[in-house]
Amino acid sequence: MTRLVEVPAQFDDRSFDQFAGACAEALQSGERLLFDAHAAEWASPYGLVGLLVAGQAARGAGGGERPLLTAPTHGDVLSYWTRAGFFREAAELFEIHGKVPKVKPAEESDVLLPVTAVRAVEDVHAVVSNIQQRASAILASELRLDPKATMGFAMALSEACQNIVEHAGTGGWVAVQAYHWRRKLARRVVVIAVADAGVGFRHSLEPTQSKRFGERWGDAAALEAALIQGVSRFRDPGRGQGLAGIRRYLVRWDGKIAIRSGTARIAIVPPWDDDVPLKDGLPAFPGAQVLIIIPEQGSSHR
Amino acid sequence: MIQHIDVHAALQESGSGVFADLVTRPTGRFVRAYIERALASVPDALAVTRIDFTGVGCIDYSCADEIVAKLLRDRPAVLVLTGISDGHLEAIEPVLAGHGLAALIERRDGTLDVLGAAEAAAALLDELIARRLAARTPGGTFALTLA
Repeated sequence: MTRLVEVPAQFDDRSFDQFAGACAEALQSGERLLFDAHAAEWASPYGLVGLLVAGQAARGAGGGERPLLTAPTHGDVLSYWTRAGFFREAAELFEIHGKVPKVKPAEESDVLLPVTAVRAVEDVHAVVSNIQQRASAILASELRLDPKATMGFAMALSEACQNIVEHAGTGGWVAVQAYHWRRKLARRVVVIAVADAGVGFRHSLEPTQSKRFGERWGDAAALEAALIQGVSRFRDPGRGQGLAGIRRYLVRWDGKIAIRSGTARIAIVPPWDDDVPLKDGLPAFPGAQVLIIIPEQGSSHR
Repeated sequence: MIQHIDVHAALQESGSGVFADLVTRPTGRFVRAYIERALASVPDALAVTRIDFTGVGCIDYSCADEIVAKLLRDRPAVLVLTGISDGHLEAIEPVLAGHGLAALIERRDGTLDVLGAAEAAAALLDELIARRLAARTPGGTFALTLA
């Protein structure tokens, strides 16, 4: 038997919980999963890396048998998913149905970093090196970020990717894209999406933090400890610098970070956004998913 | 005596040698171990160590912590950072401040700036002057007295 999981037509962080709910239910069935993206109209980098995580989890739950994926049928959507490097990574995880164009991931476009696997330290080095070569001009000219901020952008990206290598216990993916964000801001943004199907924040911090939180301990408390309090599972006093550094960077450039892990999601919400700072009781989803948004500077807020 | 350490050369010896960026904790640990080996050969534990970041691209917070903060925490050394860009400072300054530590930056013209936690920075400058390792220049700035 095959169990269907629909990929939302507009697949981004806002529709992700709907997808995660369907995923969680389907994973419990023990059946082979079919991720149906044929009607997809748009997917953000967060949606794309999240879909890979779902594929990895489904493969693990299915005893190694690859889940099925129907590719988008709309030509532009299919072309974008290909340029974004999604199918290059998906081919290992899914049995893909549908015609996938043989196009190389984008070399020069708004896809600043195609979907890229992060499994080891060398991958983080490669990501940082690539993003500096490809993104500096766009960050400075289109987002009007001070040239100083482009280095900070690479630092933030490095720290977000290192969370996978250091804490997830498995590999993950990163993608970076610039686009015009009509929905919220009516200005350009750069979006970093990082996702893994690893152990998640709660499991990672449990040995050192669960006693301190007592009955409050859970996914939400773990996210709060990591992002707000700068706590790390390592006792070394220098640990926890990564997320703290990302926060400082985003405060300076009016950016947003949201982290989803397990059944909770935490966000540092800038004035231009109406997201909630902490959500608990969400559908369970493996690992951790990080979303970072940096808006164009100097425009008036909507 | 001033010990000179070339960070870019250390990075080239690491497994990440094809890249120019000081990112990730393992890379930071490798570079710190390289520096510690070099410092171990110096008889005076309180000597000045000039750490040259020329040629290094990006430094992230984790690497800044592994290299600069841990070197200062573990050894009573005077660290003078050279070849530092504004981007490098973005990572190093908050890490030092967070630990209550301070280091010196040597500009291209030889003038010194202190970096890090205010109290530690003031104490570091006082110590350098007391030990005659640095002196005020005619222009009102500070510079090392040693070559």
